[in-house]
Amino acid sequence: MILPNLTAIGSGKGGTGKTLVATALAAMFAQRGERVLLCDADLGLSNSTVHLGLESGGDLSGFLADRATLDQAVVPVLGGVTERGGFDLLAAPPGSGALANLDHGVADRMIAKLRLACVYDRILLDLSAGVDATTIGFAARADETLLVLTSDPAALTDAYAFAKLLLRHGGHKPRALVNMVENETEARRTRDALAKTCNAFLKTAPDYVGFVPRDPQAQLAVRQQRSLVELYPGAPSSRAFKDIARRLSSDPARHAELKGMLPLR
Amino acid sequence: MQLRTFIAKDMREALGQVRNEMGPDAVIVASQRAKGGGVLVRAAFDAPSANVEEEAGLVAAESAPAEAIPDFAQTYHDGLIRRLRGEPAPHVPAKSFNRAELLTILRGHRAPEALAHQLAEAAEKSALSDMALALASALDRRMQTAPLVPGISQALLLVGPSGVGKTAVAAKIAAHARLAGRGVKLVAGDTAGAGAVARLETFAEHLGAEWVVADSAEAIAEAIVADESILTVIDTAGFDPRSAKARTAYAALARLPDVEAMGVVAATGDAEEVSEIAASLVTLGIKRMIVTGLDVTRRLGALTAGVTQGAALAHTTRSPFVSGGLETLTPLSLSRMLIEAANGQIDRGSPQ
Repeated sequence: MILPNLTAIGSGKGGTGKTLVATALAAMFAQRGERVLLCDADLGLSNSTVHLGLESGGDLSGFLADRATLDQAVVPVLGGVTERGGFDLLAAPPGSGALANLDHGVADRMIAKLRLACVYDRILLDLSAGVDATTIGFAARADETLLVLTSDPAALTDAYAFAKLLLRHGGHKPRALVNMVENETEARRTRDALAKTCNAFLKTAPDYVGFVPRDPQAQLAVRQQRSLVELYPGAPSSRAFKDIARRLSSDPARHAELKGMLPLR
Repeated sequence: MQLRTFIAKDMREALGQVRNEMGPDAVIVASQRAKGGGVLVRAAFDAPSANVEEEAGLVAAESAPAEAIPDFAQTYHDGLIRRLRGEPAPHVPAKSFNRAELLTILRGHRAPEALAHQLAEAAEKSALSDMALALASALDRRMQTAPLVPGISQALLLVGPSGVGKTAVAAKIAAHARLAGRGVKLVAGDTAGAGAVARLETFAEHLGAEWVVADSAEAIAEAIVADESILTVIDTAGFDPRSAKARTAYAALARLPDVEAMGVVAATGDAEEVSEIAASLVTLGIKRMIVTGLDVTRRLGALTAGVTQGAALAHTTRSPFVSGGLETLTPLSLSRMLIEAANGQIDRGSPQ
């Protein structure tokens, strides 16, 4: 039995484009032939449903309370996991705050339940903004964490705080994705600033997976509540996501490391 | 973490601003030409305890239950009640010897590094499998216990640095002698310390002891009573035994006949300082000493360093009250204290 790879997507600061990154990467991994579940771990204010223009994001609270099986709880996006390019979504109802203020145990429970969802190859966890215990708890239990930041100085301090807490709670070193930058120079500066800060104070720094340019088409897709990848497959941001997904899914070192970690069954 | 952006006319000026406003440990994380000319520098700083492993350790220690931190007063109190009730000592699971762990324990107590290594080495050579016994064996090679026996000593001269509690020790010794049925004479040799004479006078009155002020070696010699039924306790002004001047001044006191000089040091001091002071006292001919302040000490490095410099340990005190009395420690009891106190308390760092 092959267990799914759990990839958490976090940032510390809000407004760095986590949800866009999560939905776009879900679609890109799906296009590469992976069976993907996008799980909105923003338990208080879930918004991937809104981004994708869906009526319902599934029944995450039912799944957690054992009222619904995973099969019943998820909602298909772009045709669902059985279609090439489609994936499944599991979220709490948007705007409901249904799962806000859950205790610490919820991260453990949710991860444990998702780990057994072997119908998927990869589960993307779209984390909430902030560095509260539940959010860091999700990231620390994931197989890898993608840290999304922008060139905004506050995004740098929050990404640093996220990385620091993640390492302190026993998580893997995160990988950094720089979002919404004007050009490669800005992306490199942002990446270097994070690397220097982390190296200076944490003695280690996130690996860099790439950058996504600021793209009017991405903003348009969000406004239209459509999947960016479906609507503008040729947009600069779509192409960047495609590259990043390729890099993330074909990382032999990372794969070997992950295989070694998985329990034999 | 602090993140600040500085705009200056050149890099030199920008770096100066960073050092001035964020301190020498700030790190430049980005620099570029500013749009209006000059340079833009971004610098970050985070608290120095950013070693992740260390912080993880701290977090674990903080989340451990508070009861895990040994409280000497409480342990002593509980032990006393247990003994009075005639109950057996609680079973403490034996720890097996591990050199690295022993070193960590001794470092946690802030024992001088060289001493910690010597003790760990000797403990390993003892080939004892129990941690407490192995450490006790190592301590036994370097430490002696020689409590005061009420009724034998004729005159005691208390010497040591100021502020270690010599006057309180004098009162405690006097109280012990009184309880043993001896007469006591207190000699205030410290006439310079603020309130020193008055304190000794108060103690003397409460104990029903004779007391006298003596401000020179001759006066002290005169004050010593030839009567064997009376114990003379001389409280002196504090001095640093490492200073040549103070040593010369002390030489006159050291020549007094029939007087035993007793060193007094505080367990609350820095371990290196205490070990130097104890070693200097030994070179002044002092054979026994008293270590004060165990009630306010959790890290026992200074105590351990003090009692391993050649002078025998007469007593320890763990209470500012005269009635708190004098206790003593054997190598085994010190070894147990070191290991038990370290349990759950090693290197917790400064309170956060």
